[in-house]
Amino acid sequence: MNAELLFDAALILLLLALAAATLHTRKLYTAIVLFIVFGLMLALTWARLGAVDLALAEAAIGAGLIGVMLLAAFGRSGPEAATRAPPAVLAASVLLCSLLLVLFAQGVWPLANNSAPVPELVNSHLAASGVSHPVTAVLLNFRAWDTLLELVVLLLALLGVRQLHSPNMNLPAAWPLLQAWSRLLAPLSIVIGGYLLWRGSHAPGGAFQAGAVLAAGAIVLRLAGLLPPLRWNWWPMRACVLGGVALFMTIAAAGYWLGSGWLDYPPGLGKTLITLIEIAATVSIAVSLSLLVVGDTREITP
Amino acid sequence: MSAALLSLTIPLATAMLLLLFRTRAGTVVIVANTASLVAAMLALDAVMTGAREQLSLGNWDAPLGIRFELGPLTAVLLVFTALIHLLVTIYAQASRHSKTRDTDFWPLSCLLHASLAALWLSRDLFNWYITLELLGLTAVAMIIISGPRSHLPALRYLLLSLAASLCYLLGVAFLYGRYGVLDIRMLAEVVVDDPGTRLAMLLLTLGLMLKAALWPLHQWLPAAHAAAPTAVSALLSALVVKGPLFILWMVWSTLAEPGFARQAGVLFAFAGIAALVSGGWAALRTPWLKVLVAYSTVAQLGYALLALGLLLYWQDPEMSIALWLFVLAHGLAKVSMFLGAGEMQATLGSRRVSALKGASQTMPLAMFAFAVAGGSLIGLPPSGGFIAKWVLLQPLLVEPSHWPWALGVLLGTLASAGYVFRVVTIAFNRADPSSPGHDPDTAAQWLAMLPALIVWAMALLSEPLILWFQEVGL
Repeated sequence: MNAELLFDAALILLLLALAAATLHTRKLYTAIVLFIVFGLMLALTWARLGAVDLALAEAAIGAGLIGVMLLAAFGRSGPEAATRAPPAVLAASVLLCSLLLVLFAQGVWPLANNSAPVPELVNSHLAASGVSHPVTAVLLNFRAWDTLLELVVLLLALLGVRQLHSPNMNLPAAWPLLQAWSRLLAPLSIVIGGYLLWRGSHAPGGAFQAGAVLAAGAIVLRLAGLLPPLRWNWWPMRACVLGGVALFMTIAAAGYWLGSGWLDYPPGLGKTLITLIEIAATVSIAVSLSLLVVGDTREITP
Repeated sequence: MSAALLSLTIPLATAMLLLLFRTRAGTVVIVANTASLVAAMLALDAVMTGAREQLSLGNWDAPLGIRFELGPLTAVLLVFTALIHLLVTIYAQASRHSKTRDTDFWPLSCLLHASLAALWLSRDLFNWYITLELLGLTAVAMIIISGPRSHLPALRYLLLSLAASLCYLLGVAFLYGRYGVLDIRMLAEVVVDDPGTRLAMLLLTLGLMLKAALWPLHQWLPAAHAAAPTAVSALLSALVVKGPLFILWMVWSTLAEPGFARQAGVLFAFAGIAALVSGGWAALRTPWLKVLVAYSTVAQLGYALLALGLLLYWQDPEMSIALWLFVLAHGLAKVSMFLGAGEMQATLGSRRVSALKGASQTMPLAMFAFAVAGGSLIGLPPSGGFIAKWVLLQPLLVEPSHWPWALGVLLGTLASAGYVFRVVTIAFNRADPSSPGHDPDTAAQWLAMLPALIVWAMALLSEPLILWFQEVGL
């Protein structure tokens, strides 16, 4: 008990220290590295709280992909101007934050003893959902509409970045060691991604985590110069990105106009349909994330 | 419900097809929009009797699943969204100046339409969060279509919108942690007035007010809306800011206890009057035409805020009708105003208000569209804006103790008359007219006028609409 408490206390202190250091370090590059470390520690915190799905997603997306994106943005940005907030602003923000903290603590404190009815409901309907992992059941059956819209959010992020027409990243010639490593890492990422996807139906894992791991593999390969440019104007690429939403929508609409209800899976087909959606979503997430980070921005007009 | 879902599905499917085939064909969007509009009208027809259709997504009842509800207001808003989107796409397709020709405007505007339809239909706090995210991201993506000059305002908008989302999400998390349900109706049954709930409501309100650009959290709006391409500005002002407003209205009118609502109502009402005055003042002073129109959005949202405040303060459901009439009238008028302003500034080759000298002579149609839309914003009879103001004023004038509030409405009217007439006077200054760079585009100017004509026609349609709302509720 005491050892656990010590670990948790150390984790919390580390998180706070990392957050403060990320915000207040002088160099942008240091801040990015600290932010990645912060993401990893946050993933550890989620795991300690028992939210393994969140921990996996945080490690893959929060620490991994966002880190890569920040570094890519850093590579494109010009020399930084050293800016320091005046002490008065700093003091004011510290005061404001502590006030907010007190306010939020008051809001959170009474919640500790509350028992929510939904987790029990989820467990009692788990058998009818087609999967045996509660988080997957919520994401792909009970509240599948949220997940569908989240896939549209990802699509919109990609479309938004494309509107910027930013110039291509100039990739330096790949380092032999990176090439050798990425040859090793890429198959591993496919195996791990596939495993996470398969696991999603009965244990923590699923499309978002699997997609992020696959995207990481693709990004490493692209950075090592082992993949051709990823282009939006190559139609299979677009088909992969749109596939997740399109399949999801088709199932929803077909269920409504031909079956028993919007996003209501026919009895017995639940597991099959969920697996199909998960596969399409994984591909779509992996390709979208890869395009976001290392996509080729040159456009050939149709 | 079937027709309402069709009205949501059609734009989403159109966006997918446009992206897959990389076509930027406006005609496809126009055809799809017409279909979506017809579907929305069928949905409106289905709820004519006042029946509310419920749909549990995936046949999972709340609190497990998400609930859609198609009531009178939702049906009207679906028609309104489809109509505005249709009018704007026809303009964008026809005009040389819309700057959206060979861009991703088409799929993005379809996604905007679909996300708004999803927002109007949903009755789930967390699902609303996702639709808000969708709205914010689409809006930002559409603003940056207009090029590098729009990047800074778009980035500001994105960051503020994300901060607002997080604020809203934190509020939702508090409510969920406290009551364990996300469905707004179930929440209304169990909610009690305690400090934790008040904190959650405060967070929700803060996030939503920032997203809806309600005074005093409106500073991002003028730059962002003015920087967008003309057709996008029209969509942003007419539709995007109305989404968070809907959620705000829903949350306060169903979840707030009367005592708390009364306290907050006064604040909302004062913020509304402040928005009317300060937005109008800023619109009077700005040298840029599109910024003037954008500030007018800030000011006009003040009426909605005032109506919301008085609704909560007096617990008078009539005010809800006033609020939504304002939204409908403002949406249509603002489309006309932005399209007319965009057409004039592109043809005259300057973004300044002062460049409009003699526009009543050189571009009479676009100027007329601007003035007619302005008339509705001021509230001149017999326009939609007048009817909305009439519904708002009636309870204010009946009771002598309410008269001070009418002063706020009067101030707002004066301010809007000020900025509309500022433009009109310059346009009628024919002594030294600025000559257009090229031939004005007559068809595009007519298309800019169309929404303004509809808002004046709204005066005729409003009586049955108000009676219907009074009879069946919103």
